Amino acid sequence: MKTAIRTFAVALALTGAVASAHTRTTDVKPARATSIVPIPVCPPDDPNACGM
Amino acid sequence: MNAKSLIQLLEYVDPVLCLITIGALFRAKQVRAFFSLFLLLSTKVIADSVALLIFFLLARGVDKHVAYPIYFYTYWTAYALEAILSILVIYSIFKLAMEPLKGLQSLGLLVFRWAAAISIAVAIGMAFGPHMTSTKFIINAANQLQRTQSILTLCLLLFVCFAIRPMGLSHRSRIFGVSLGLGILSTVELVSSAWLTNMTTMYMTFSVVRGIAISMAFGIWAAYFFIPEPQRRMIVLPTTSPFLKWNQVSLALGHDPGYVVVGSSSPDLFAPAELEIMRRAAEKTVPVAALN
Repeated sequence: MKTAIRTFAVALALTGAVASAHTRTTDVKPARATSIVPIPVCPPDDPNACGM
Repeated sequence: MNAKSLIQLLEYVDPVLCLITIGALFRAKQVRAFFSLFLLLSTKVIADSVALLIFFLLARGVDKHVAYPIYFYTYWTAYALEAILSILVIYSIFKLAMEPLKGLQSLGLLVFRWAAAISIAVAIGMAFGPHMTSTKFIINAANQLQRTQSILTLCLLLFVCFAIRPMGLSHRSRIFGVSLGLGILSTVELVSSAWLTNMTTMYMTFSVVRGIAISMAFGIWAAYFFIPEPQRRMIVLPTTSPFLKWNQVSLALGHDPGYVVVGSSSPDLFAPAELEIMRRAAEKTVPVAALN
C-alpha cells in the first residue's frame, strides 16, 4: 500500500515535470486547475463575445 | 453520453463536491486548522456559481455582450485568487506537517517564504512581453503564478509522501490527503497547460479526463475530512537521525548570540567587578594548567 501511494505520488510529480517542460510559455492557454468551466481567452470587449 | 454532456454534468458536480468538502471541514471542526483550504474551496464555489448563473441567464436570452465581460473578469479574478490561495494552502500544510520539529519548521518556512516571493517576482517578470496589453499581462501573470504554485505543490507532495513517518503521520492523515488532492490538481493544471495549446474545441476527451481528475481531487478531500483521522504518532527518532540533528541546529539558529572579544583589549575597558571575576577565574585555571 505504502509503495503504491509513493509510486502514485512520484508518477504525479514526473507527469507534472514532463508537462511543464513541454509547455511553451508563449503558447500557453491557461485553464483554472480547479474548474472545468470554459476558458475566456478573448478580450472582454470581443465583438463575438468569444463565441459564447 | 458524449464528451459535451459529460463536461456539462461535471460543471455541476464540482461545486457540489466543494460544498460537501466545506461541510466535512465544519463537521470535523477543522476550519481553523485548514483555513486557507476553506478559502480556496469557497472561492471556487462562488466563481463556479457565478459562471453557471451567467450560462443560465444566457440560455434565458440575456445579451452575450453584457454577459461575456462579467464572465471574463470573474474567471480571471478567481484564477489569480486560487493561485495565491493554493500557495497559502501549501504553506499551511507544510507548517502543520512540521509541527513536532519546531526547528526544521521555522527554517523550512523561512526558505518557503523566500522561494514563494522569488517565484511570484519571476512570474510577474515573465508575464511581460512585446505588444503586451493589460488583459494579456493579467492572463500571463496569473498563468505563471499557477504554474509556479503547481511545481511547489508537487515538491510538497513528494516531501510529505517520503517524510511521512519521521513526522508521525500516516497515509490516513488529513495533511497527506490535502497534499494528495493538491498534487492531483497541480498535475492536471500542468498537463492542461501543455495540452491546451493543441486543442481545437472545448469538448474533447481530454477535457472529460481533466474534469474527472478534478472531481477526484475534491472527492479525496471530502473523504479525508469525513473519515476520522488517526492520532498523530509519538515521534521516536534515533539519535543519529539527520532530522533530529538538523532540528537541533535549526533550533539554535536565530537565538540571541553570546559575544566574545577578538584581539587585544585594554583593562581600562572593564569594570572592577569584571576584572575581579577574571582574576579569580585565572587563579582557578593556573593550578589545573600546572598539574597538566
